[in-house]
Amino acid sequence: MSFFFGRTRTRTNTIDLAKQARDHVTKLEGPQGAAKAEELAKVLSQMKQVLQGTHEAEPNPEQIAQLVTGMIEEDLLYLLAVNLYRLPFESRKDTQVIFSYVFRFRPPTGPQRPEPFALAYVVERRPQVLVELCRGYDHKESATPAGTVLREVLKNEAAAAIILYDDGEEPGSSARGVGGINPDRPQSGRGVFWNFFDWIDKSSFEVSADAFTTFRELITKHKELVPRYLAVNFDLFFERYNTVLVQSNSYVTKRQSIKLLGEILLDRANYNIMTAYVDRGEHLKICMNLLRDDRKMVQYEGFHVFKVFVANPHKSVPVQKILIMNRDKLLHFLSHFLEDRTEDEQFIDEREFLIKQIRNMPPAPVPPQR
Amino acid sequence: MADEGIASRYQVLEELGRGSFGVVYKGIDKATGEVVAVKHIDLESSEDDIQEIQQEISVLSTCASSYVTQYKASFLRGHKLWIVMEYLGGGSCLDLLKSGVFNEVHIAIICRELLLGLEYLHSEGKIHRDIKAANVLLSDTGKVKLADFGVAAQLTYMKSQRNTFVGTPFWMAPEVIQQAGYDFKADIWSLGITAIELALGEPPHASLHPMKVLFHIPKNPPPRLEGKFSKEFKDFVSQCLVKDADFRPTAKELLKHRFIRSAGKVEALQELIQRKRMADARADHMKHPVYYQETLHTISPKDEADEWVFETVKSIVPRKGTVRSRKPSSVYAVEDAMHKLDLKDAPLQPSTPGTARKTTVRRQPSSASRRTSRQNSVPRRESNGSPRQSLAPKRPLQPDMSFGNSGSTMRLFRRVPSDSSNPGGLGSSPPEFANENYPPPAYHAPAEPNSKEAMLGRRLYNKALEPCLDELHAQTAASSKREALAKLSDAFAFLDAVDPEGAYHLLRNLVSTISQDTKLSNTFLPQHSSNTSSKSASDGAPPPQGTVLHKSRAPNYSTPGPGPAAVPPSTPPTKLVFSHDNPHLLSHRRRRGSMLPQPTSADHHGSPRSSSPEKDREQPFRDNRDRDREREKEREKEKMAALEAKFPGRPAVPGMEHCKALSDLLYARWTDGLRARWGVLAGA
Repeated sequence: MSFFFGRTRTRTNTIDLAKQARDHVTKLEGPQGAAKAEELAKVLSQMKQVLQGTHEAEPNPEQIAQLVTGMIEEDLLYLLAVNLYRLPFESRKDTQVIFSYVFRFRPPTGPQRPEPFALAYVVERRPQVLVELCRGYDHKESATPAGTVLREVLKNEAAAAIILYDDGEEPGSSARGVGGINPDRPQSGRGVFWNFFDWIDKSSFEVSADAFTTFRELITKHKELVPRYLAVNFDLFFERYNTVLVQSNSYVTKRQSIKLLGEILLDRANYNIMTAYVDRGEHLKICMNLLRDDRKMVQYEGFHVFKVFVANPHKSVPVQKILIMNRDKLLHFLSHFLEDRTEDEQFIDEREFLIKQIRNMPPAPVPPQR
Repeated sequence: MADEGIASRYQVLEELGRGSFGVVYKGIDKATGEVVAVKHIDLESSEDDIQEIQQEISVLSTCASSYVTQYKASFLRGHKLWIVMEYLGGGSCLDLLKSGVFNEVHIAIICRELLLGLEYLHSEGKIHRDIKAANVLLSDTGKVKLADFGVAAQLTYMKSQRNTFVGTPFWMAPEVIQQAGYDFKADIWSLGITAIELALGEPPHASLHPMKVLFHIPKNPPPRLEGKFSKEFKDFVSQCLVKDADFRPTAKELLKHRFIRSAGKVEALQELIQRKRMADARADHMKHPVYYQETLHTISPKDEADEWVFETVKSIVPRKGTVRSRKPSSVYAVEDAMHKLDLKDAPLQPSTPGTARKTTVRRQPSSASRRTSRQNSVPRRESNGSPRQSLAPKRPLQPDMSFGNSGSTMRLFRRVPSDSSNPGGLGSSPPEFANENYPPPAYHAPAEPNSKEAMLGRRLYNKALEPCLDELHAQTAASSKREALAKLSDAFAFLDAVDPEGAYHLLRNLVSTISQDTKLSNTFLPQHSSNTSSKSASDGAPPPQGTVLHKSRAPNYSTPGPGPAAVPPSTPPTKLVFSHDNPHLLSHRRRRGSMLPQPTSADHHGSPRSSSPEKDREQPFRDNRDRDREREKEREKEKMAALEAKFPGRPAVPGMEHCKALSDLLYARWTDGLRARWGVLAGA
């Protein structure tokens, strides 16, 4: 019988963990904040062990199910996300592990759903958890753990939709769960997704880099959700993208975002986005100025966007105008462009192709026929 | 950007070494006075995804263990990423091995500390994947720390496995090579190999080609430690090197091994550090710390004429000049000239042989092959097109603090594994460039220039040869050509280091031989009769002009291009050197005069060109050899003068005032930068 009692005791402990954690986390701000943080650290480390097991012991699925349920009942996911930056160093890492396991957990019995149990709950009923995880980028301390969790969660399309369509209390915002989203309503630009631009541009290197990685995941992963989103919010998105990211003072942000822009435009799923993008003369101007940047890698990444404009067989009149107006300069410029890339055959081929295209352009713009 | 503020927190001092993809400097945190290691990664020279570097930072920044090099901060400065780390003065175990293998007592301590480090990492879900002597650093007090997390993996789930093929072949576990899924145990295998490395000086199969080793390790029984070692040590190694990862013990289990339990205190490792320092002192290394120099790229001149035309109105305006595409090159030329004005580069001071350092980062493929005279004998990895290769560790002059492995680490097959990191080190010597007329000088002692010829030779190298090669190199595009040029440049650097006199005679003979051949001399040593600025050169013997080696152009116009020459040919900048009222020139002459025993030339005559024939007439009995030498000296001076004409602070040639303004500006910025950086030290 002692065997039986032993099991019961662990069980109550497991159920208790979520409650204890909630008590501590809500008092972090209070007068005993430091003490509470210490106790919370212990609880979190215990929770991690339950979820993860140790090198010696396998995790027990039953216990995990209890813990996950307890965490949902106590709204602990939300509380941890909000307070992530306040936690001590080791607890932040523990929290990251806890989130990863909880969002992946599927109950061993009962009806199987396409989404893991806790993730389905969050997406439908408590989207603020994901929004708060994004806000982890407001603080240097929480950026890495929050980002790591986010990147994993965002592989799920519903979770990505929550972030993209968060728009406060606006109708059609994701604030009431994934079911309430109205994808056809243009975004106000105040939702959490739009904060990424500033997190990437204005944060320190570590935060900025992490935020960019998450942003890239969000924008490239889902081939139906994102093109539709970009189509509805085309002007808002590219206006921010070009002014904040492409013109960023940070070398890394600038270079990475030009590269990502190229990837977005060349993604088959984004065909309509691409054609709309390369029709704008304004976009071409930005791009041509990138070719003249002082830094070779910026020039190089800029080239891969520029080529889309030139290779487009249905160039708009404004685009043709700019190209024709600068034809001689461009031909001369391109013939010496990044000359030392002698081993990059694809680049050399593409450069030759562009030169030919520009040379063969008509003397005056011709309205495109599609 | 917030990042700019952080950068000013650190005072960057001398170079410590070159890591896997960056230069590591010693630095001081101004706020706390703490000594730190600052790694500079030039992101412009790296085409790899910046994400790879972020990955390393994120692994490091989530480590908090006294067995792992402590990460402090990272931030961007322009296109350089600075990573600030804890400073470990003892150097890497690979460096320490250079003064001899370790004994068992030391190895036991190191292995215990490494196991503690691995225990920590593994409990954090991290796999280091590149454990080897080069990646084990020691602090001054003997603390052992794991470094270089360039290929480390972070597992989200404890039980997940990896398949990525990374690491360094000799140290790789069989399951990593077979890519059949591996976990933390892979680090234990590498630890076993590292233990052998510490005991014998090199990992097993070090004589094999790394690619061959990749077949060898999975196929054959595990290596064993042979020789006069204790039973415990041999057993420890064999436990680490169990081929089946499932039967290989964990770090925690190995900490209970007898060999480990009997290990002593880390302080004992200070002996190793002491031994290395003694050996270094005996070897009489010429320590020329290389200090951090800020580059000046930010001020590239924007040429209005080059801008694109987006407004229809503007397009009518005729554009003068040519569309020049590659502005950067002109900036670099200026910058190169700036480098010549290094503080420690006082005239005729013996300089460090290396030439590439200040510009290596820019010279991509070829610089990888640059070797210095004192480098290990083992052929290092050759350039394979991977951009990071260009930052290969160059010179273990000083305690090599590289986080990076001097051995090559497999980053997803992108690096060529050709390093067997033979720490026994100095066996075969690099090619000697000694002239057969001169006995080869002592290998390790760079010659002090004590003869007139040697001084001239050194000057010739510093002022003419090196800049010319640099410039030519910068203008060359094809990588094979660049490679060849780099080799030549290295060869000259080496010659300059061991025998500056040889360099002098080489060029002297070269010029005189050229002057014998009419065709050659017409091409390379043109008569100045066509040149209005030259008054002399009308005496029978062709006075060879030394302008051959250096294209005398003002920095701003050094852009190659098909456009019309920017410098009017009738007023070459060389000319201004000979103007009598140039105060800079006067002081320069004085300096030079004091060094030359024979006050023959420019001190008394307006033009050095005219002096030579006069002398000849005065002393007709002089033999040809002396005359040649005389002329040669004039040419040297001319070459130097031509070069110095490019330095800032000189009066401008008519029509070139804007260039002067620019170069003065650059110079002022440069000195300001120096003052800011050196103010602290000067005051101390």
